[in-house]
Amino acid sequence: MTLTIPALRARSARRGRRRPLIVPFAAGFLLLVAVAGLLAPVLAPHSPDATSLLDSLLPPGTEGHWLGTDSTGRDVLSRVMYGARLSLLAPLGVVLLSGVLGIALGLLAARAGGWADAVVSRGMDIVFAFPSLLLAMLVVAVSGPGLTAPICALAVSYTPFVGRVVRSVAIQEGARPYMESYRVMGFGELWVTLRHLLPNVMPVLIAQSTLAFGYALVDLAALSYLGLGVRPPDADWGSMISQARSAILQGEPWSGLLPGLAVLLTVVSVNVLGEHLGGSIGRKQSEGA
Amino acid sequence: MKRTRADRAGKRAFAGWIGKRVLGGILTVLLASVLIYGALRLVPGDPVLAMTGGRRLTPDQIEALRHRHGLDRGFVQGYLAWIGDALRLDFGMSTNYQTSVTSLITNRLGVSGPLILYSAVLAVVSGLAVALVSAVKGGLVNRAAGMAAAVTTATPTFVSAIGLLALFSVGLGWFPATGAGTGLADRLWHLTLPAVAMAIVAFGVLARVGNAAFAEELRREHVEVARSRGVGAAAVIRRHVVRNALAPMLTIVGLLFASLFVGTAVVETAFGLDGVGSLLVSSVSRRDFPVVQGIALIAVLLFVVVNTLVDLAMPFIDPRVALGGAGR
Amino acid sequence: MLAKKTPAREEAPDGGAGTRRDALGISRLSLAVGTGESEIPLLADVTVRVGRGETVGLVGESGSGKSLTARSALGMLPRGARATGGVTVSGVDVLAAGYRELRDLRRTRVSMIFQDPRASINPVRRIGDYLTEGLRARGVPARGAAEQALDLLGQVGIRDPKGAMGRFPHEFSGGMLQRVVIAGALSTEPELLLADEPTTALDVTTQAEVIGLLKEMQRAHGTGMLFVTHDLDLAAAICDRVYVMYAGRIVEESAGASLFGAPAHPYTRALLEASPSVHGGRAEIKAIRGRPRALAEAPSGCAFRDRCPLAGDECAETVPAHRPHGTSLVACLRPEQVTP
Repeated sequence: MTLTIPALRARSARRGRRRPLIVPFAAGFLLLVAVAGLLAPVLAPHSPDATSLLDSLLPPGTEGHWLGTDSTGRDVLSRVMYGARLSLLAPLGVVLLSGVLGIALGLLAARAGGWADAVVSRGMDIVFAFPSLLLAMLVVAVSGPGLTAPICALAVSYTPFVGRVVRSVAIQEGARPYMESYRVMGFGELWVTLRHLLPNVMPVLIAQSTLAFGYALVDLAALSYLGLGVRPPDADWGSMISQARSAILQGEPWSGLLPGLAVLLTVVSVNVLGEHLGGSIGRKQSEGA
Repeated sequence: MKRTRADRAGKRAFAGWIGKRVLGGILTVLLASVLIYGALRLVPGDPVLAMTGGRRLTPDQIEALRHRHGLDRGFVQGYLAWIGDALRLDFGMSTNYQTSVTSLITNRLGVSGPLILYSAVLAVVSGLAVALVSAVKGGLVNRAAGMAAAVTTATPTFVSAIGLLALFSVGLGWFPATGAGTGLADRLWHLTLPAVAMAIVAFGVLARVGNAAFAEELRREHVEVARSRGVGAAAVIRRHVVRNALAPMLTIVGLLFASLFVGTAVVETAFGLDGVGSLLVSSVSRRDFPVVQGIALIAVLLFVVVNTLVDLAMPFIDPRVALGGAGR
Repeated sequence: MLAKKTPAREEAPDGGAGTRRDALGISRLSLAVGTGESEIPLLADVTVRVGRGETVGLVGESGSGKSLTARSALGMLPRGARATGGVTVSGVDVLAAGYRELRDLRRTRVSMIFQDPRASINPVRRIGDYLTEGLRARGVPARGAAEQALDLLGQVGIRDPKGAMGRFPHEFSGGMLQRVVIAGALSTEPELLLADEPTTALDVTTQAEVIGLLKEMQRAHGTGMLFVTHDLDLAAAICDRVYVMYAGRIVEESAGASLFGAPAHPYTRALLEASPSVHGGRAEIKAIRGRPRALAEAPSGCAFRDRCPLAGDECAETVPAHRPHGTSLVACLRPEQVTP
């Protein structure tokens, strides 16, 4: 190895262990967005659907419409708050579904091995070959617009993302001596898997699911932006951006940029959190070894 | 004597490994094609009625449509007919445009092809440059680059598209907001904003992965040894850092290239370009199945081909891979 | 080239700076990183001299600063380190040298051999590439470099040098690779060879071969060598003089052969007693109590005093100065209690 100076190493390790300052900010922002969405009916200053052609395309900072209005005079702040509901709930559905699928398939592949492993792994390869947005569009072509079908499609699409990691951790953990000792003691395969393997898999699952949440949020917003996702009168951030297109070309971009900023900041926060979770797991594992 | 026999055995194992990889890729594409074809069969109700979107047709016309899409045959026969045609680059007729899907797609590639290439070049050049500089400089530069990469990877393409549109074409008037332009210079000018919008995420990913890969190679002892031998700083980076980080970088570039193909859907819609991506979007909303199936199959094929090529290139980039790959 | 035998050591080892004749002269070198409160000292008052063609050992446990000392001869200091004192290689002031001078120095006058040959050679480049890189950096044209590399591979005992040039590092054993590294190090005809534990990563059976080769090549090329190792027996066996380091300081300097008979520092003696050896018929192996210290965590006064069986109150007061005792220069207040 290269020159190691123990005193220097100890110092850099101390520095590395400090939690980056950005992590609490990211968590705080996500909490803020979630609360804003949850309490939108109470907190929003206007109804998200109240149009007023007289007040169309007001700039941000206008009295009564702090973030301005869109081309039909709807309050942008209220719409962003209400939009948070679908924008966050839909990817949450994706993550829950893909988490369940990923655990089930990953554990099955790891514990059963042989044929089951080969089939599951090949299946994941195939799904992996479809870019997630393509798979979502394919099911929209079949089922027509709406969010249910794309949520299921994206859940399938992100299953390898979760399942591959679950599989490898389960194989690694399953090879440890204590697993064998449980089996020797006569505990059933399913019991050992659920009782002892699952808790070990949970940390990576949470980290991967957090990252998948961000990806799914972007995919679903993109789908709505393309007019293939939510159907009016429902709205998420993606459809708000789509509706702002003509306003942007007229030089009044706010009603599109603000929901865009909401997507951007939410995804940055989710990624920061996901990577922090993934990183601290990596550290813990390398310390334990 | 012994050496040559070992070499020959190695070559045979290597050929076997290539064959395995290629067969695996073909299998993946075939299974994916079953999925793509099967999607049509999953349409609730009668697929033909969904396709025609409620237009009134005579029973004869409906029957003709059913026959053309193989819906009057069983699943297996229908699939075999479809994939057989697809192998001859015939994806059937578009129900919306009433022309062959193949000619539709090839016409649109005149816009999407240059767009993808332009975007890939932008992302790879800028991403790797930032990755290398930040890894070598370290310190504040490294942190700033890390922050930029974190933000750009999280910027969805449609957000960067409207941002660029609002700033550079509507606000400053430097670039056109729609259209693909004619002639080379004009086309490049028209495609610049869309290419940048699409390249932003790819830039972030490359800057990030590249930084990690370069930083790891910089820490290796052979880099220090090369420096201790008086090899110049530029040569050390070129011959020992960049060269060694090539393998992980190529994998990521391959994945990005394939994902740009689908990424055109968003960008071409945002900038009003008539490319394959916007064709896919309009075909999905009009339920023009032959077009959707054709594009989906091409996208999957592109992904698998690029990844297989990257895999096959690995032993030539990292001589240690051939050993491990052939052994497996 | 004539294999000339230099005198084992000068009458009294001068503690001063290296002269022009010396391959390496390190005088009163101190190194530290960080500033103020968080300053971490790494080396203190290190003085090492290697004459032309002379073999000098630098012995110590891990963390003693021996590798740092060797690297300072190349101007390779830890990032952000501040150095005081002097380092000269063949009369060139290393600490004052700029990027260009350092590069010239490294490609013409000093070569270093590192511990693990597998980590020293870029795994994705061919052996021939590794050998010619040093020569090409020196300005030798491609064809000449290749011929010279072939010749060197033959000299270090690689069979089929032509074939070897086109192979990759993973196709060689560790011992063969270290031969390649030695060939690479000597390709530039250096005046000073720094060998940092060159055999530690090798099998025991190949260690002796590599040491033999190293000595033979050194003699043939008339190169001075600083041999860094944790193995005191090995150092005493092959070196003309030996420096013993503890916690960033030189604690003893002695003629190689006399170390076994008359260790002057308690630490040297403890090291000798701790290693299983056929020399001197010691049957009992004593471990040194405590663990090795780095300079930053060493106690005040003599750094070894918390592990030293002879330590008294006065050992805590100041760092002992070097003084002659027998054939050694030793930094201890009571060497007569170690070896009467």
